[in-house]
Amino acid sequence: MTLFLVMALALLASLGVYLAALVARAAPAPATFGDAGAALPGWAVSFAAAAVVVAGMGLGDHLALTLRYGLQASHTALGLILAALTALLLQKRLWLAARIAGLSSPGEALGHYYQSATLRIVMLTLALLFGLPFAANLLSQLGGLLAAATGGAVPRATAIWVTAFFLFLPAVVGGWRATVLVLAVQAVLVAVLLPGLAGIAQAMLPRPGFPGVPLQVAAGNLADQIPGVIQFSAGIGKGIAQGGIFTGVGIASAALALIGIVLSPGFLYLGMTARAGRSTGFAPVWLISALLTGVLLIAGPMLAARMGQGPTALAAQLSAIEPFAGVALLLLLILTAQMAVAFFTTSGAILISREIILPFVLPGLSPVKARLTTRITLAIAFALVASLAAFAPLASAVFGSLAIPLAVQMLPAFLGLAYLRWISRSAVLVGLIFGVLMVLFTEPLGLILFEGLFLDLPWGRWPLTVHSAAWGLVGNVGAVLLVAVFTRSGAERAQRDRLHDEFAASWPVDFGGKTAQSAKWSLTLIWAFFAVGPGAILGNSFFSQPVFTTGDAALGVPSLWVWQLFYWLIGVPLVSWLAYGAQLGTTSDQGLRRVVLDDPARKAAPGWIAAGVARISARQGGGR
Amino acid sequence: MMSSEDEASARLDRHALVLAVWLPAGFAAFGLLHYGFGPGGAWWVAAGFIAILAGFAAHVIVNAALGTNFTARETGLGLVLYAVGMIALVLAVLRGDGFAARFFLPVAGGMITLLLAVVFYLLTRLGTRAAFDKFDIIRDNNPRRASRLTQRGRHR
Repeated sequence: MTLFLVMALALLASLGVYLAALVARAAPAPATFGDAGAALPGWAVSFAAAAVVVAGMGLGDHLALTLRYGLQASHTALGLILAALTALLLQKRLWLAARIAGLSSPGEALGHYYQSATLRIVMLTLALLFGLPFAANLLSQLGGLLAAATGGAVPRATAIWVTAFFLFLPAVVGGWRATVLVLAVQAVLVAVLLPGLAGIAQAMLPRPGFPGVPLQVAAGNLADQIPGVIQFSAGIGKGIAQGGIFTGVGIASAALALIGIVLSPGFLYLGMTARAGRSTGFAPVWLISALLTGVLLIAGPMLAARMGQGPTALAAQLSAIEPFAGVALLLLLILTAQMAVAFFTTSGAILISREIILPFVLPGLSPVKARLTTRITLAIAFALVASLAAFAPLASAVFGSLAIPLAVQMLPAFLGLAYLRWISRSAVLVGLIFGVLMVLFTEPLGLILFEGLFLDLPWGRWPLTVHSAAWGLVGNVGAVLLVAVFTRSGAERAQRDRLHDEFAASWPVDFGGKTAQSAKWSLTLIWAFFAVGPGAILGNSFFSQPVFTTGDAALGVPSLWVWQLFYWLIGVPLVSWLAYGAQLGTTSDQGLRRVVLDDPARKAAPGWIAAGVARISARQGGGR
Repeated sequence: MMSSEDEASARLDRHALVLAVWLPAGFAAFGLLHYGFGPGGAWWVAAGFIAILAGFAAHVIVNAALGTNFTARETGLGLVLYAVGMIALVLAVLRGDGFAARFFLPVAGGMITLLLAVVFYLLTRLGTRAAFDKFDIIRDNNPRRASRLTQRGRHR
């Protein structure tokens, strides 16, 4: 199996380098290296977006949680529909803002719209969090998996460094476009492997799997039920939630956390660099809501049920029957991690280069030198990621766990940019402070630091079985609403109005008449309440003990599973309705009118940076 | 009017999409055929051919969506792989170690189905006459000027 696995990985690495070389030859203009000329093909953006979502949520982690907690953990996959809805709501408006106001990145969009350099820095910090510790954590897991799968023939550190190098090559050769194309090609493979493997495992392995037999969850957890609407537990590490941590509100908050992936700077940048077309709708509707959610809900428990001894044991079992099946399972897990590492590290490095290094540290570089600078940034980023993964896996895990919940805190800011002009800069900033603090104090980093420095806190991670992203969002939205009441016509209101007036004049969202509008919002909320909210508790017995009869129905499958599939099937048309009914799923570059937003930051290096660079340049010149 | 760089870019995008189609189809087909020729048996071999057919169908859909056609390299590679498959089938049958008894039907059936799929594609895409012209190399061997006349069918 080791030989086959290494050959398959080498083949995929070669494919990446081959595509990158083709990109470099086809689009030699150095100015397009970092943004692909904002003309990425729609199919590639769509598949890459779906890949980033599944890779960002961590397929291996999702399967491990499903094995440990059962269908309650698998239920969180329905949250991908919420993520798709968010992507749908924001991507088109952000794409338009980029085109009509000449904004090249999400940080720049927020910075110009709110006239705030702080928001740009926040977005860059997020890009760093996703690009370094988050990616390093996944790379570290990948290295461990590869070492275990090859029985130590490929040591963990070697796996990490070699993988990082071969993920770096396409990025450095072909830039952003090559990264996205490689990601898209690999995403199609993952889309086939995930359901295919579940079917192959059911067909090849001798003993029956899920749903024939229930999931063998950890002791104390309910395999096929949601353990209540909420549990007053102190949180992970301080208390035990009876039956599992994914209660009704636990699922709702974990579903909210998935929004963090589509609010990550890299994901938003991907949408902003897409060519006009239908990719804005195709990815959320068909790839994320229909394909990915469905496959995770159906195939996820089937695969997880057979992973009792871990993924490498299942791969060995499959490999004993057919080597390709075992390799395919490992490839699936390795590829999803690889995709996340490649995407978040490359996008993070490109954003840092475009937003800090090129405008502030080294302003006025020619396109060729700017490309070289971006390449050097990429090299440093990948080296840092590999170093973190190899030498500081625990720190990577602790810091990386903050990336997604912190990204969720950008939701009010982006909603303001896209729709709600009354959300002011002050409101966003105050909301962010509250949101970030609440996330920090419900995640390991804040808890470890505070308890180490001061005193023990009475709560642990995710108290009351509520995910840190939701804790943060509650504080964040509360503060935004309160502050916006007093600052809705703040100093930068004219700036905000300029963009929203253009949206309203030329690109209104067609939510239909009053009835249609009410229907869209109310149905979405009802769906969310029953699918991923507290109402999901009804699914525990809705189909096995129907309310209209005294007898039990012999379904042969858990009632909760049927509930999940039912709401998945309802969720897809709902997203489709918003995408195509409200025209949120298509973009066009016809009739775009330029809107000028003031630049909040002077594009010149701060004095101390300029002096430092000048000193180094002078020394180099003197040396020559 | 597209610039040469735009054309190269469009060609590359299509090429990447074609790779995206054939990578999983090829992987699945290879795995299924490998298992089928081993312990799996005829049905798994048939499943392998279905994976190849799915790849071909997806490739045709890509062509239809992008308004393109199979490139000369793609056609050449397809023909070479098909020829290699046919030769391998004939050699395996001639070797006579029970292969024909177990696998002749699914493999030959798969090869014929692939051929029929290509013929069906050509007929629906080009029509009967134009599809035939694609392979009518005899007429091209010694072309006469008269064959270019409109009343002779304007095929050139």
